[in-house]
Amino acid sequence: MIELKNVSFCYSGSVDFALKDIDIHIGRGEYVLVCGGSGSGKSTLAYLLAGLIPHFIDGELSGSVCYDGAETRSLKMADFLPRVGLVFQNSDAQLFNGSVEAEIAFGLESMGLSPGVVEERIIGAAKKLRIESLLGRSPTHLSGGEKRLVSIASVLALGPKLLVLDEPFSNLDWEGCARLKTILRELNEAGAAVVVVEQRLREIIKDVERSIVMEAGAVLFDGEPDQAKGAMKELRLLPRYRRRDMPGSPRKSFEVVSVKGLSYSRAGMEILRGLSLEIMEGEVVAVIGKNGAGKTTLIKHLNGLIRPQEGKVRIEGFAASGQSPLKMAGLVGVSFQNPNDQFFKNTVEEEIRVGLRLSGRDRPERLHEISILFGLEGLLERSPHLLSEGQKKRTAIASIFAVEPRVLVLDEPTTGQDGRFLEALEDIISRLAESGHTVIVVTHDLEFASAIADRWVMIEHGAVIKEGCGPEGIENEFFHQAA
Amino acid sequence: MSFFTRRLDPRAAISVWVLGTAAVIITARTNVLMVESGFILLAVCALGLFGKWISSLRLILPVTLFVFAVSAVFFSMAEAAFLGLRLICLLTLSFALFQKVSVEEMGESARRIGLPYGVSFILTSSMRYVPLLGERLTSIMDAQISRGIDLRPRLRNIPNFLALVIPLLIQAILLSDHLAMAMEARGFGRKERTFRKVMRIGAMDWAVMALSSVLFALFVWWELPHKLGAG
Repeated sequence: MIELKNVSFCYSGSVDFALKDIDIHIGRGEYVLVCGGSGSGKSTLAYLLAGLIPHFIDGELSGSVCYDGAETRSLKMADFLPRVGLVFQNSDAQLFNGSVEAEIAFGLESMGLSPGVVEERIIGAAKKLRIESLLGRSPTHLSGGEKRLVSIASVLALGPKLLVLDEPFSNLDWEGCARLKTILRELNEAGAAVVVVEQRLREIIKDVERSIVMEAGAVLFDGEPDQAKGAMKELRLLPRYRRRDMPGSPRKSFEVVSVKGLSYSRAGMEILRGLSLEIMEGEVVAVIGKNGAGKTTLIKHLNGLIRPQEGKVRIEGFAASGQSPLKMAGLVGVSFQNPNDQFFKNTVEEEIRVGLRLSGRDRPERLHEISILFGLEGLLERSPHLLSEGQKKRTAIASIFAVEPRVLVLDEPTTGQDGRFLEALEDIISRLAESGHTVIVVTHDLEFASAIADRWVMIEHGAVIKEGCGPEGIENEFFHQAA
Repeated sequence: MSFFTRRLDPRAAISVWVLGTAAVIITARTNVLMVESGFILLAVCALGLFGKWISSLRLILPVTLFVFAVSAVFFSMAEAAFLGLRLICLLTLSFALFQKVSVEEMGESARRIGLPYGVSFILTSSMRYVPLLGERLTSIMDAQISRGIDLRPRLRNIPNFLALVIPLLIQAILLSDHLAMAMEARGFGRKERTFRKVMRIGAMDWAVMALSSVLFALFVWWELPHKLGAG
């Protein structure tokens, strides 16, 4: 169906090739996984398959890309519309209409279909993805998982023969992942070729019939998924966690975080319901839960961004509700999900020094210590905006750590990250815990949580419903749900 | 009470808003403005929006009080009261329009009035992204406060606001880039485009537009001699 021969591509204004001598053939009805580390060229390949390269994105393209025998250069962007559908990684950019219904209709109207056919296809796509109840709602007000399903529906309604999805599992909890896997399987069984570009490999590898492993713009492996695991492990795309010794009980007995009977409502919705939690000094605790369980609201209480409506939050004995978030920054450092929210300086060094100045320890030796701890030694002069996703995340956490908080909270640190970063983050968390810091990791990634945490706490509907120690606990409790 | 509002064609609703806004703007006397305010309040009640309007006062009143205070200092109390009331009328009219007509319908109306589709789409998309950028701004603020950056509104903190502006600008630029790609991938700008929504101006729409036009004419007739006299 689509064939790439000796394809290389270099983005306009860049000197490095994003794709180098790629040879790939994707046949009708295939189910293919494309994986690779950050910057390996996966998304560029997705843009190429969808025709955005060369028709929308500027750059130097060499080699041959043929769709059903026709060179894509000779086609127009419009010719790709019913044939190839691309689901972007960033759902907020993909959903640009006022309602879900209008979102699904947009591409159909572009194709010039009559209103009756458009309505039929809207209903069909919504039924297939089981989102009929969302049709009248604004995409802005949907959850991350719902947005992802609407993005897929808006493309699926066009009836593409090839569906390309760029990191569709990022931001989804284990239930969302399971649902999406089922939907993709059904689409593939119905005859569509499905290409999934993904970092969360364990979510998808058992389903696909073929895996393409990319590194530095080149195809390193193209074949059966079982055989691809060697290449994936070699490139550390499948993280190998060292799994710290789980002490079962904290090393020290001082209670650093104490949350008692915490309740919080917004717009008439109860987000936290009498939540209680104690965390000891030096403990690494994973807070896990589905989308909308109340995890982020909980951590915003820890550093005073939100004041409790009911209940008490104490950090090292001080009431968090009585302190401003600025004062709390020295006690509890929170690194939120999107590192780009933090960067406003020209270099990584300046970003870290913002924190060092606030802690009163803006000295070269401290900067050196932090850059070594977070593996940023060679990057200090680089712009934070031009780093890989893993490097950005490390910089963001380092700049929070520079304020010297006793408690470090990491909100969804694994989202959109490759296996190499996950291994590096495990190492960083281990070292922080060894130096007496308390680390709270809020995550959907149960495997990561089991690897790094002394203890896991599961939140559902705003309350702690289960907790346990070690990987066995998490695996036994939850892994079967995602199967 | 809200019997006609659901069926009102967006173009009719926009026409009423234009006439109402024009009437308020050309009015220069407090007594006329008070009568207009009465009509606007009546319309808000008829549209079934009174409760929501009361809630919206939380946003409307601070702006109005600011305008009132500045006007009271630089002009007079009477002028300040007039300007404050005018602002409330204008904001209430816009509030009612946005409650009853979706952004999508406004864009579609603009296209039917003759604005090119590309322009009307860009206008509506930019309106839709305002709340999204608002959410992003909140996230950025949370992230920066959490790392100890002081963003309280104080003179000495002005340089710190770069910590909000720069990430927001970069994210807005990236978002627009991704948005353009997503639109292109789904055929934005193709000539064969169809439009599934059917808009029909019915008898009710004509009646509402006629009533608004009569009211507008009456207010102009009432205000005009004063305007000409003042001129």
